[in-house]
Amino acid sequence: MKKLIGVVAAAGLVAAGLSGCAGSSSDQASGPVALTFWHGYTEADGGVLDDIVKNFNASQSDITITTQTKTWAVIDDTLLPALSSKNGPDIVAMTSDRLPVYAQKKALVDLDDFYGQSSSNTSALKAEAVAMETVDGKKYGVPSGFVPLSVIYNKTLFAAAGITAFPTTWDEWVADAKKLTVDSNGDGTPEQYGLALPDHATVGNGVWPSLFEGNGGSITSDDGTESTIDSPENVETLTYWSTAIQNDKISPTGLDGIASDNLFKAGKAAMEVGGPWMAGVATSSNIDYGLAAIPAGPKAQAASAIGISLGITAQTDARSQQAAEKFLAYFNDKTTATKWSLGSGWPPLRTDVSAADVSANATVASLTEIAPNTVALLPGVVNSTDVLTAIDTATQKAVAGGDPKQLLSDASTSIQQALTN
Amino acid sequence: MTALARSGVLPVTRTHSRHRGDPMRWVFFAVLLAVTFAIMLPVLIIVFTAFKPASEVNAFPPTLFPHQWTLANFEAIFSELPFGRLILNSFGFAGGVTVFALVFDSLAAYALARLDFRGSRILLIVIIASLMIPFQATLIPIYQLVSQLGWVNTFAGLIAPRAADAFGIFFLRQFFLSLPRDLDNAARIDGASEWRVFRSVVLPNAVPALLTLGIFLFVNNWNDLLWPLVFTTDQNMGTITSGLTLLTGPGGIIPQGVMMAGALMAVLPLAILFLLVQRRFIESVATSGLK
Amino acid sequence: MTTQNLAPSRPYRPPAQLGGRTPLNGTFKRRATIVGFLAPALIILAAFVGWPMISALQLSFTDASGFGTPEFVGLDNYLRVFSDTEILQAMGNTALYSVLFTPTAIVVALVLALAINSPRLPFRGFFRSTLFLPFIVSLAVAAFAWSYLLDPQIGLLNYWLQAVGIRIGNVLQDPNLAMPTVVLVAVWKNFGFYMVIFLAGLQDIPTSLYEAAQLDGASVWKRFTNVTFPMLSNTMAFVVIVALIAALQAFDQIYVLTGGGPYRSTETIVMQIYQSGFKDLDLGFASALSYVLLIVTLLLSLAQFLFFGRRSKDINS
Repeated sequence: MKKLIGVVAAAGLVAAGLSGCAGSSSDQASGPVALTFWHGYTEADGGVLDDIVKNFNASQSDITITTQTKTWAVIDDTLLPALSSKNGPDIVAMTSDRLPVYAQKKALVDLDDFYGQSSSNTSALKAEAVAMETVDGKKYGVPSGFVPLSVIYNKTLFAAAGITAFPTTWDEWVADAKKLTVDSNGDGTPEQYGLALPDHATVGNGVWPSLFEGNGGSITSDDGTESTIDSPENVETLTYWSTAIQNDKISPTGLDGIASDNLFKAGKAAMEVGGPWMAGVATSSNIDYGLAAIPAGPKAQAASAIGISLGITAQTDARSQQAAEKFLAYFNDKTTATKWSLGSGWPPLRTDVSAADVSANATVASLTEIAPNTVALLPGVVNSTDVLTAIDTATQKAVAGGDPKQLLSDASTSIQQALTN
Repeated sequence: MTALARSGVLPVTRTHSRHRGDPMRWVFFAVLLAVTFAIMLPVLIIVFTAFKPASEVNAFPPTLFPHQWTLANFEAIFSELPFGRLILNSFGFAGGVTVFALVFDSLAAYALARLDFRGSRILLIVIIASLMIPFQATLIPIYQLVSQLGWVNTFAGLIAPRAADAFGIFFLRQFFLSLPRDLDNAARIDGASEWRVFRSVVLPNAVPALLTLGIFLFVNNWNDLLWPLVFTTDQNMGTITSGLTLLTGPGGIIPQGVMMAGALMAVLPLAILFLLVQRRFIESVATSGLK
Repeated sequence: MTTQNLAPSRPYRPPAQLGGRTPLNGTFKRRATIVGFLAPALIILAAFVGWPMISALQLSFTDASGFGTPEFVGLDNYLRVFSDTEILQAMGNTALYSVLFTPTAIVVALVLALAINSPRLPFRGFFRSTLFLPFIVSLAVAAFAWSYLLDPQIGLLNYWLQAVGIRIGNVLQDPNLAMPTVVLVAVWKNFGFYMVIFLAGLQDIPTSLYEAAQLDGASVWKRFTNVTFPMLSNTMAFVVIVALIAALQAFDQIYVLTGGGPYRSTETIVMQIYQSGFKDLDLGFASALSYVLLIVTLLLSLAQFLFFGRRSKDINS
């Protein structure tokens, strides 16, 4: 060990020569608490969030929060090393599928006490959104985004096919998709597809869970301990959609979320299930688009959510944690929540903010109307990666011609294993 | 090699004139040109996409050339990113690593190739073995060390862990072994120290290898994504490669035209560097080329 | 001059009277010289490679996550490596990738290096520069370019080929074609660097050897097998080892192209290490898996060394 320290010290000398400025801020016991906040809102939404933080800093003199913008993928790749040396953020925004892992490994602090205080402004939050913060019965974050997947469609292609109203049921949806599928040279491969329905790595991994939910199916039991992917309802759903793709060729096979986006941008697909940001993408691709709710399945209209959560990391001491909670309470406040919803283009997270409150932003208003049927994706499931891989394998193979019943039964075995581990 | 030729160890042959008017060389040329075009196709896509407006990037039918050329993507880079700062940081980081590693690697490689000492082979094997652990496994311990030294968000933290590398030592050692020993032994008889032999005899003859390693180190560090992202949380310390990730939109959607424009500008310094360096290759090949 | 320095097993020994090892050996001054040459690099390597490797080895016997205090779990992580079917599949995929990638990349690099090193070729500078470009473009944009080419619906290649009646399928989503496609892209991305290494090696071959061979009436092929190939053996030993190590650690090119799919058919060991370490926050298991990979790589490399050692002897005699 002595030798090692010597080696490290010597390496230090070498590198000290390179070091222009090696200074790290040390915590002060008095004065304002300085917090860092990592988030992945890189667009206009990031500006709004930074603004909210600025207003919070101005509203009191005890706490100063500094934001750092990184992409969601970058936050996920760098959070572990940073936190392992206590160089990480005090508040972190992450996609909700990642929250259970960090919570289970004790990288985030338990916020049950915070939720218990009425000053936390959490009581009006949507229960479905709070569900994605709950791991083993405890809450580890507050939602900052809970957006239903929706369908974006190409109005020009709809007009050309003579479709005037957007479909509201699966049967209408498939019928319209058939009308929008064009194989003009008759070679069996359409030149234009009615729908870009990805069979793996779908947007927010939510396309198939939305469809399963629409027929009354689910992926796991409510407590997240049992696989329910092989239910008869799900077999029916998978059969229904893989038949539509194979026989009616309404969508190409082998698509992932990005390929679907590209197909829609190219005007080669008339519809796509996507996130709200597809509106901006369509505009830049010169596509005249409309947004609509995912048509209702036989049992329900349902849409899986794209969720983002704010958590407080375990590197905070009691004082910083308290300060961070103050910010979360400020963020949950009705005024801030409305501002955040309007500015970010995401539907409000509070039940008491109505579509009328956000009518200033048409996209938000229309998303708010379909938002009540939004369901969290695999809330509280730690090993969601393996669960989603199992679903992807089943859907991709079924769409390519496999037997849905057998595939879902295989998937169920893998999922049960992932849930038990 | 030029040094060797000049010093009379190698015969100098002018080979170019002999091949003038050889018809086969143009067939050879045509074949290689076709192969090169196939290899270059993805690069051409990157270049031309950078000049396409967003509406054309995914348009069908796909095209290589833009219908309507635009500089909007390049303008977006300058308005959305602190481009100058990022490029400067990239030069500091990649340049720093390259300079230090070239010096330290060549010293160690010389010892392994020329100063026969007990345990040199074991040492070489240990050094090579250290290449065999994926960096994903050691990244966190390295980060913790850098953090304890207080070097997070500094050039020291970015550069020091890579100021010497097993790959470079192994590479230069192999190259030094191939150099004829007659020269350095002659120098030793004249009473030159090992340091002098290294500096005045071995290094001048190893220029192609040093350039090759230098390019490798510079390109790899310039293009490295995870390293600067992990070791610098401060945006002012980011490199151009890590900075480009910030162009990613919501839902991981990438504005492709802008990204290609950014990548093109990021790669430009590398391309220029290589152009300059490869001239040096040609000079030495011209005097000792294959026939 | 013509002596082969067949590395790394038999370093060249200078004639005794010129003294390589004898005169200074054992003296304080000589030791100081050796230490002086080695110290800077070894200090850096010890601190930033050696120590992290030891640290990872320690972690591999624990349930470390990066947070909290890790607990000792003995050989559990190692036992899991060999009982996990996903890991075993990833090992198979990695082996297949290495077997396809290593020889292809080396042959392509060597052939192109020989071609652009030939003085018969006009505009050599142009080829040297352009062929190196794939190596210097960043991976993220290269992935975009390849999907722009290969997309089965809106890809450029498909569009061009359809004009002559050929339709390529969805190569990146076909379980049988995904791996070869990924290898193709990896070769495209990396051959330029190996090519430049070969070029540097080729320049080290004395012209006099070729002249002697020509006087003996040796054919082009004979000159390659009798002069070029043996004289490149140091370079070749290096390229083979580093290409093999790179192949066994294949990660980012595959990650951006297929993400390991379809059906895990392109998932490699290092993707599993990344997944366990950075996604599942299971550093102990990721470290154990890394050490298994290290040991496999080490064994394969030693076999390689022995193979090259023997081959060079054959050539020499």
